[in-house]
Amino acid sequence: MVRLITHNLLACHAKGCTSNNFPLSFKDIEVETREAEFNADFVTGILPKLAWTALVASAKQVGDTSLPEEQPELENVDEEFLKTLHHVLLEIHVESGEMICPNCSHIYPISNGIPNMLLAEHEIA
Amino acid sequence: MPLQVLIQFAQAHADFRIPELLSVAFNYGFKVDLPPDVNVNRPFMTVTLQEEKHACLIAERCILVKSVHEYFASGETYSALHERNCVQNHLWEPYKHTSWKFVVTGYNQTIPKARQRTVVEGFSYMALEGRIDLERPELHLCVFEEYSSKGKSSLRPRYEGDGNFIQVWFGRLISKGTARALIQKFDVKKRAYYGNTSMDAEVSLLMANQALSSPGKIIYDPFAGTGSMLYTAAHFGAYVIGSDIDGRQMRGKENSPGILRSATQYGFAERILDLVTFDVTRNPWRCGGFFDAIITDPPYGVRAGAKRLGRKPGVPLRDSVTAMKDPLSYVPPTHPYELSTLAADLVLLSRYLLKPGGRLVFFLPTVTDEYAEVDIPQLEGMAVISNSLENFGAWGRRLITMVKSESIDREPPDLRVRSEDIDDKHVPAHKDFREKYFAGFSNNVPL
Repeated sequence: MVRLITHNLLACHAKGCTSNNFPLSFKDIEVETREAEFNADFVTGILPKLAWTALVASAKQVGDTSLPEEQPELENVDEEFLKTLHHVLLEIHVESGEMICPNCSHIYPISNGIPNMLLAEHEIA
Repeated sequence: MPLQVLIQFAQAHADFRIPELLSVAFNYGFKVDLPPDVNVNRPFMTVTLQEEKHACLIAERCILVKSVHEYFASGETYSALHERNCVQNHLWEPYKHTSWKFVVTGYNQTIPKARQRTVVEGFSYMALEGRIDLERPELHLCVFEEYSSKGKSSLRPRYEGDGNFIQVWFGRLISKGTARALIQKFDVKKRAYYGNTSMDAEVSLLMANQALSSPGKIIYDPFAGTGSMLYTAAHFGAYVIGSDIDGRQMRGKENSPGILRSATQYGFAERILDLVTFDVTRNPWRCGGFFDAIITDPPYGVRAGAKRLGRKPGVPLRDSVTAMKDPLSYVPPTHPYELSTLAADLVLLSRYLLKPGGRLVFFLPTVTDEYAEVDIPQLEGMAVISNSLENFGAWGRRLITMVKSESIDREPPDLRVRSEDIDDKHVPAHKDFREKYFAGFSNNVPL
């Protein structure tokens, strides 16, 4: 776990961190790939909510370059594209390491696939 | 072809029966017409369905359904039943030549075998010509004598037979309920990882049905704890995300996270999308409007400490923390999260995080003597669609199902201060629930 779909939905919420707080940058990570059952409706359903540029950049950080730089229009998506997106969103797991806020540099550690996103005392408004 | 269907419900959670039935129907996209005089305390109910296969879906998915039948007739006596059944001959005459069997059962009463035979002989006017097949008949006819539960536990023998029951029901079995067997499958004691706050199997299955879990959906539990709601939602095909302020509840003591071990035991570990540790009032979600459902049993503050980041009101927060030298072992301070604030925040946050039409399913503990319907957090854009009580005497808990009835894009709610969106003037019965619980729900106010 920490799949890229979830990572694409997480931003830094420390006090004052309201811009450039997404996507969190990966550091010292261990990555695993695990197969997941493909469901075209699921992938099509989440597509409008994804921040595409961030997803492409994060995928590159974990060693995957299969996504196009530009997000394709919904009418133009074919099953092959959905399968590629499925792989990136659901089958790549960042099992340990760190996610770092590009703005305030807060370190969110990941251990056994679970990230700790509690804020410290001085970071809650 | 529309048909009248007789449903036999299980003997538990009566208040949950109709909400579950309607949720399952909505999930599969079929219509159920309820009778005008619904009485949830009777175990039998007739409804109108558009197709027989919808009855099969009910039997397959409703945890509280024991069996579903094509309804032929009923009556307060056998003569009334037979009179009405004769008029329904167009329903059973097509089976005139098929194999058949009768099963005569008492509800709240045993029927002696001899009388069962007499009952079956009473149906001889149906003139069934096929052979009797006790194993796999094509026509499985069910007679139910419904007795009241009064006097059931007395040692004196009760009168049974014609005139002593409330109603006798007659129909053709369509399907026995198969969903109830899931209660055994998800039995908490057999689970690889559980804790003292784990929700029992039957109720967590009911919650998953209220949440309309199905393949292709994402369902979220913001107070995931040991994951009980995640498993049942995942079982019905959804992807699930869990978060909790206490990572240890989700992890357990082993190296491999407890929730994943249980999910592996059940065969759907891949549908646990992710588990994340954070305070839901300081959540890191980048945007809203992407969850199909939110399903949760929030901490009441009794067995599980309901807490949130920060210090008690009036205690200043430190503005730099030297203890953070080692981020891995730093534990931020927390303070109690009072239940009525938590409940209001949950509804507010759900409105933001849910897709339009998405459901929030959660338990709200209530103090029986003080509860009023307005205790449920009222919020524009979130509509209550069901409210089922689990009664424990002086207190209870209500399974509330709400639906996001708006599609406006809103700003993320600020959960630091009480929002003006929530009606603050009414003091709900569950305010300071923890204190009331430990005071035994007595109203004694010290002078």
